[in-house]
Amino acid sequence: MSLLPGGRRATAIGLYLAYGGILLFFMLPLLWLLSLSVRGPAEIFVSELRLIPREPTLINFAQVLQIRQFPLYLLNGLKLAVGGAAGAALIAAPAAYACSRFDFKAKKAALFAVLAFQMISPLVVMVPLYRYMDSLGLTESHAGALIIYVAIASPMSTWLMKGFFDGLPPELEQAAMIDGCTRFGAFRRIVLPLSVPGLAAAFILTAIMGWSQFIVPFILLSKPDLLPISVGIYNLLGTYTGSATQLVAAASVLSLLPAIVVFLVFQRFIVGALTAGALKE
Amino acid sequence: MAAGTHQIVPRRRGWVFDEAPAIWLAPLGVLLAAFYLWPALQVVRTSFTDANLMEPTARTTLDSYRDVLFYSGLNEIGKATLVFVGGSVVGQLSFGLLIALALDAGAKRKLPGVTFVRVAVLATWIIPGVASGITWQLIFSESRVGFLNGVLNAAGMRSIAWLSDPDIAIWSATLANIWRGTALSMILLYAGLQLIPGSLYEAAAIDGAGRFQAFRYITLPQLKPILLINVILVTIFSLNTFDLVLPLTGGGPGRSTEVLALAVYNTVFHDFNLGEGSVLAVMMLLIGLGMTAGYARLLR
Repeated sequence: MSLLPGGRRATAIGLYLAYGGILLFFMLPLLWLLSLSVRGPAEIFVSELRLIPREPTLINFAQVLQIRQFPLYLLNGLKLAVGGAAGAALIAAPAAYACSRFDFKAKKAALFAVLAFQMISPLVVMVPLYRYMDSLGLTESHAGALIIYVAIASPMSTWLMKGFFDGLPPELEQAAMIDGCTRFGAFRRIVLPLSVPGLAAAFILTAIMGWSQFIVPFILLSKPDLLPISVGIYNLLGTYTGSATQLVAAASVLSLLPAIVVFLVFQRFIVGALTAGALKE
Repeated sequence: MAAGTHQIVPRRRGWVFDEAPAIWLAPLGVLLAAFYLWPALQVVRTSFTDANLMEPTARTTLDSYRDVLFYSGLNEIGKATLVFVGGSVVGQLSFGLLIALALDAGAKRKLPGVTFVRVAVLATWIIPGVASGITWQLIFSESRVGFLNGVLNAAGMRSIAWLSDPDIAIWSATLANIWRGTALSMILLYAGLQLIPGSLYEAAAIDGAGRFQAFRYITLPQLKPILLINVILVTIFSLNTFDLVLPLTGGGPGRSTEVLALAVYNTVFHDFNLGEGSVLAVMMLLIGLGMTAGYARLLR
């Protein structure tokens, strides 16, 4: 820093001040949540303002995990998020390939439809879907919820994968096809293996979104044993606010930790795919 | 656009099924038609009835439209939605742009720690909406766990009814949404800044342009398409937000934070009024489609 000339040094100091402000705004709410989650019942209501409690404890996490359904909430959340993302990838990959490589009359319309499905809130369709799934006997089951998770994730998955396929030179699969491969064979043996980074980014992003998914399980599922973590912590909020806020805080920390860890591990990957997907057709 | 749209026909006899786009699109098409398009059409159909979750019979009528548009709390819903969506758009765009500019300036100077700041901001976007709602509930809380009032009290000031004053609550909810959504605006604008050719700034510097002029005449015009995409995406995501508001305010006090998405849910699942709920859902649908059309035009 001392090597920088005066003007540049002032700029750098100004920038670090800005970064401090940005971090404060974005991190403070989470630090407060964390702070409340490591307080014992005696310290949760003390009137002095301390970010780090006098006697931090992990007992709330142990207590939350002992709530009968809580481990199930986490497991159900994982199951629905991973299942939904995997199903969406399976369905999206061929569709994305077609939108990337073929020229057909309805292509513009198809791409617009994919985009529109991505933009329309699941809430709009949940109203009739509830009765529809009910008549098919698919409420109160993970199978029924999974179908909707897949349907919600597949447009985004398609969009992201199309972007990735567009970046692969078509000569590779054309060479394979001249050698006698069918197009499907070339897709399976050449395109998919080369697209692992793109497929993975789409999978991880849709899985994280599935983990956060709230409205679908909130409406389709009510048996406590079936609920994913998002609805689980909402129910805990109703049960424990006022009486044991520290437990609500600990449960919330447990719900956001997996998403953050996965994001931190794969962030380069995810951010690249996301920006490319949002900014070009 | 697709790189290789010309097709090579392999040496095979007869109709080659895997050269037909429809085959490849079929699984996605069937899924979306059955579980998205069909229910969406059902919503439109139901909006023209007086259907009720309690009574199975319904007649075709425009009553639901009349009741929603003229009688019930559409004004309140509209006001809450406008503040929430409008505030989010303005807040996320300006805040996202400032952060993107600060990060870009730091990255160009190779300052250490820039990536850390970027990732910290992005992490807020990845957190489940319900968890964000609960987090902000604990920030705004008017009981002794509330952070903001704790700070105010420590500074000798009186507490503010962040969530229980109807005039303040919608702004509190909007602030929470800005906290959650700014990351998306920031990352798109940051990507946009990387696309502006450095030669433009060099030419401007030679012409004697200052920093502000460079921003006004180069950065802003170059970012315009991305800013517009941002307006659309933030509008639609804020309009669709349900999971953040529900744990934060539940729509209250009164109906002061009952945004459109919450109103759809309450009308159907609390009042059991399927007809009017569908009218509100049709509004969401139409706004969503309009926004998508705008978005599609902006993409290259």
